[in-house]
Amino acid sequence: MNRLTGKHILITGASRGLGRQLAIDFAREGATAISITARRADDLTEVRDRILEVSPATRMALIAANLANQDDIERIVAATLSEFGGRLDVLVNNASVLGPTPMPFLLDYPLEDFRDVVNINLIAPFLLIKKALPAMIESGGSIINVTSDAGQNGYPGWGAYGISKFGIEGMSETWAAELEESDVRVNWVDPGEMNTKMHRDAEPDEDPSQWADPEDVTEVFVYLASDESKGVSGKRFQAQEENWGLEESEEGDSKNKEQN
Amino acid sequence: MISAPFTFNLPPELSAKEPPERRGIGRDQVRLLVIDRQTGKRTHTRFDRIGEFLQAGDLLVFNSSRTLPAALKGCAAKSAPCIEARLAEHLPDDSWLVLLLCQNGDPFACGLRRGMKINFGGDLTGIVIERDERIPRLWQMRFSKSGAEFVDEVYRLGQPVRYEYVSAPWDLDYYQTVYAQEPGSAEMPSAGRAFTWKLLFDLKRRGIETAYIVLHTGLSSYMDDDLDAQHPASEEEYFIGEAAAAKINRSREQKRRIIAVGTTVVRALESAAIENAEISAGHAYTKLRITENHQLKVVDSLLTGMHEPEASHLDLLTAFLPPEQIREAYEEAVRMKYLWHEFGDLNLVI
Repeated sequence: MNRLTGKHILITGASRGLGRQLAIDFAREGATAISITARRADDLTEVRDRILEVSPATRMALIAANLANQDDIERIVAATLSEFGGRLDVLVNNASVLGPTPMPFLLDYPLEDFRDVVNINLIAPFLLIKKALPAMIESGGSIINVTSDAGQNGYPGWGAYGISKFGIEGMSETWAAELEESDVRVNWVDPGEMNTKMHRDAEPDEDPSQWADPEDVTEVFVYLASDESKGVSGKRFQAQEENWGLEESEEGDSKNKEQN
Repeated sequence: MISAPFTFNLPPELSAKEPPERRGIGRDQVRLLVIDRQTGKRTHTRFDRIGEFLQAGDLLVFNSSRTLPAALKGCAAKSAPCIEARLAEHLPDDSWLVLLLCQNGDPFACGLRRGMKINFGGDLTGIVIERDERIPRLWQMRFSKSGAEFVDEVYRLGQPVRYEYVSAPWDLDYYQTVYAQEPGSAEMPSAGRAFTWKLLFDLKRRGIETAYIVLHTGLSSYMDDDLDAQHPASEEEYFIGEAAAAKINRSREQKRRIIAVGTTVVRALESAAIENAEISAGHAYTKLRITENHQLKVVDSLLTGMHEPEASHLDLLTAFLPPEQIREAYEEAVRMKYLWHEFGDLNLVI
């Protein structure tokens, strides 16, 4: 409890699934302020009500926005920083879209859908980091990008989604390298298979009861948002794997960095 | 009313009409005119070489205010005129001072009056309360939303304040510094526009420190030549955080140079020093006008844009340099075709 006291956090795609659960769990861990974004304002209101049940003192900003629209990204950052007095400690790039369902092969993929998916899943996180970074660069901060197994393996039919996740892993690594001299850390997390609407839409023939619930995978996000992960940057985490999928040497590196 | 220390002829072709990135050069590749305060020596270089004029231990102080899309179009509710409202200053009671410009004909002759309700679209309306006493082209307006909700609506509906010399309606992104944080400026604090993160990291590696304060800028023009010529004193709110205050005080104690990035930073730091021997964290309002007679207490050097003839910023420059040296430098800059305004070239007085 209270591992996130004092933290000001922005989470995209927070109206349902993993994003919603992260907002609730971050509040439970004492986050001072949470800004949540999603397309529909009424969905955000429901999440806010739930957060305030868990933690009535949490300061909230609710921003309805379409991440495919680049003007909305400037608005999200401006409204968040306005509410938070210019402060931001954690950015979670969680929002993503799957694309058309049933999922077509790349050969059949409509260009407009491809662009939409890449805009939301890859361009939007790039712009959000770029615009939010100034608020973190002096005081330090944590950027957490949500990826997927489809960001490391090319599966038939996962088309633009998989490609965008390959992109977000490469982009995260590049950000981490460019920010190495700063106190801003950039990491990316594969939450693993989860029982969310997106996953059910992607694999309608599978039994969702075999998949984890979002509340089962948030611990690694709390760790990365908290000061416990200071000095840990440029790493890929797997929320459902032992040691979060880190090699032993990587764990050692992380600990050494923390001590330094 | 004040008079500027000198005037000069600025040919219209020396207005930067496009951001440097749209002129085929990098953001940090604009020209830089360096003037040595001790010797008066002038050096012409490129901005990305600014590090050659700085030394380890120098402290660069930036204004990290984010530019608002501060121009909002709206129409009065009942068969009354349509106007453009330019946000100028956020008042302590959460209302705003706005410049109201009629959309057709004379910009001030469409029946602007107290009590008008302007509908800006979306969920945003504003009520005209009264005319400002200090700057009569401004009106106090109370909007239907406040705080982050107001900012959200402004970013949905507004456009950046643009002047007639730009060649295209450039997007808001072009009106932001790379380090912009909290929104609130009517116009970009443009002296820092040329910095890139790569350059900032390079400077840090050389031992040059940075600190960020916030002063939300007002409008540079009230679209009224007579009023603009009077340089009416605007009051601006500034914020200095604890980290910035500590860095500034430490630099002062250790007699290291403090370099203000922009006249807004000079104004904020010199105002803060008047109140206290040490710079304290917090926020305050300033009406300070810095002129030739002002004894600089905090700031040693200034990075700034090229200022227009008779602009009040020229007066501020005389706190750093004798007027004659500024005049000579400006005449040389005109001859060498430096570019003026927010997308233009820069001047380091060090």
